[in-house]
Amino acid sequence: MNEYSPKILCFKCNFGWGYLDDKTETREVVKNMVPVTCSGKVDSTHILTALKEGADGVLVLGCNQGECHFQDGNYQTGKKILLIKKVLTSFGIEPERVRMVFSIDPEGNKVPLEIEEMRNEISALGPINIGKCAMTATPPPP
Amino acid sequence: MTVKPKVAIYWLGGCGGCDEAIVDLNEAILHVANAIEIVLWPVAMDFKYSSIEKMNDGEITLSIIHGNVRNSEHTEMAHLLRKKSQLVLSFGACANYGGTPGLANFRSKSDIFNWVYRDSPTVVNPKGVFPQTISEVNGKTLTLPDFYEHVYALNQVIDVDYYLPGCPPPPDLIVNAVSAVLSGKLPPKGTTLSPHMAMCDACERNKTKPFKLEIKEVKRIHEVEMDSETCFLAKGVICMGPATRSGCGNTCVSTNTPCRGCFGPVSHTCDSGAKFLSAIASLLQAENDDQVESVVDTVVDPAGYFYRFTQAASILHKFDENKNRRCP
Repeated sequence: MNEYSPKILCFKCNFGWGYLDDKTETREVVKNMVPVTCSGKVDSTHILTALKEGADGVLVLGCNQGECHFQDGNYQTGKKILLIKKVLTSFGIEPERVRMVFSIDPEGNKVPLEIEEMRNEISALGPINIGKCAMTATPPPP
Repeated sequence: MTVKPKVAIYWLGGCGGCDEAIVDLNEAILHVANAIEIVLWPVAMDFKYSSIEKMNDGEITLSIIHGNVRNSEHTEMAHLLRKKSQLVLSFGACANYGGTPGLANFRSKSDIFNWVYRDSPTVVNPKGVFPQTISEVNGKTLTLPDFYEHVYALNQVIDVDYYLPGCPPPPDLIVNAVSAVLSGKLPPKGTTLSPHMAMCDACERNKTKPFKLEIKEVKRIHEVEMDSETCFLAKGVICMGPATRSGCGNTCVSTNTPCRGCFGPVSHTCDSGAKFLSAIASLLQAENDDQVESVVDTVVDPAGYFYRFTQAASILHKFDENKNRRCP
């Protein structure tokens, strides 16, 4: 029997995470990773589209607070994430499906670990169900 | 004698305010009425659905449809008018994006029915009677339209040619839209017939916007003393202007009411709620890292506020078969 493994989409800030060593192994373990120049580049539409298109969770990896290469991109996205969690709750989606981590990891060793940790947490929630309770997003009738 | 173009005006799940807006054309409506033949307009004239069914396909030049699709009767009429019409104009916020009734998508059908027919304090319903699509009364069968689980925007149910946003659309845009159809000077299919700029670009209050906007605490409109010139966001009041299309004539902001987003997203964006979320997030400022969460918490009911008119057309409610359709 295949065990359910949640699909996690990871946005990774290139300045804070893995800039010294872009490991092939990491890319093999982490299937859905989008390197961005700054976590501030991640827009709420990207996150919502990912969830709509089948991601069970979205992880955003940004630099430590106060250490953004572009002044405060990580801080700005941090606030977006907090607001998105509230919006998702209204849509009937668990807020835990979106997470932001503020840290620095030049070797990129922590990237698979962070994803694994999130995957374990999302496993308990099960597959994303946009049709859950209020969100009966069934296709329009013929 | 020249044959006048036939026009149908029909309401689906809406309040009738869009019909009011058409009547608000005042004397201009007389010129329009001379140039066209109205074949259906339930709010103003007596026509039978059966007379539409008898028409040839494409016989109606323009169908102006407002309101969202909430039940099976709406679907039936939307399909019928699409079949009989050369052009369909999606009219008003409800048809374009689901409108305020689209907020019902935050609740399930059973939640809504339980409240309206059982739990609301003003309801007396000891027998627990709920509407049924089919019921037998004295040996006769009565039917009601099927109330769907979901509110749909018009373009999620039928193919739409043009969009006219607003709650309701302003008279000048209505005249422009109808004139464009009558004169045959039509933009490409799928165009939204209103300016493409954001509301802030057309707002007089924009002049008073400080160089750096910062909101330390979100306020409701009744909690601040507003003057007629200051930008709402500068006072900490949520105004959907940055993510909303212009063309409304600034009726809300000129009467000291912040923009609530009835014109929907600007060009090339599909989800004004999500875009506004990003905008307001960047304006929120905390004194220190520990206070970020409490500042964000001052936004009361963000989903309801950001998606007040556009919930049914939000990214999370898009349908795969609509991928090829343009954003309104």
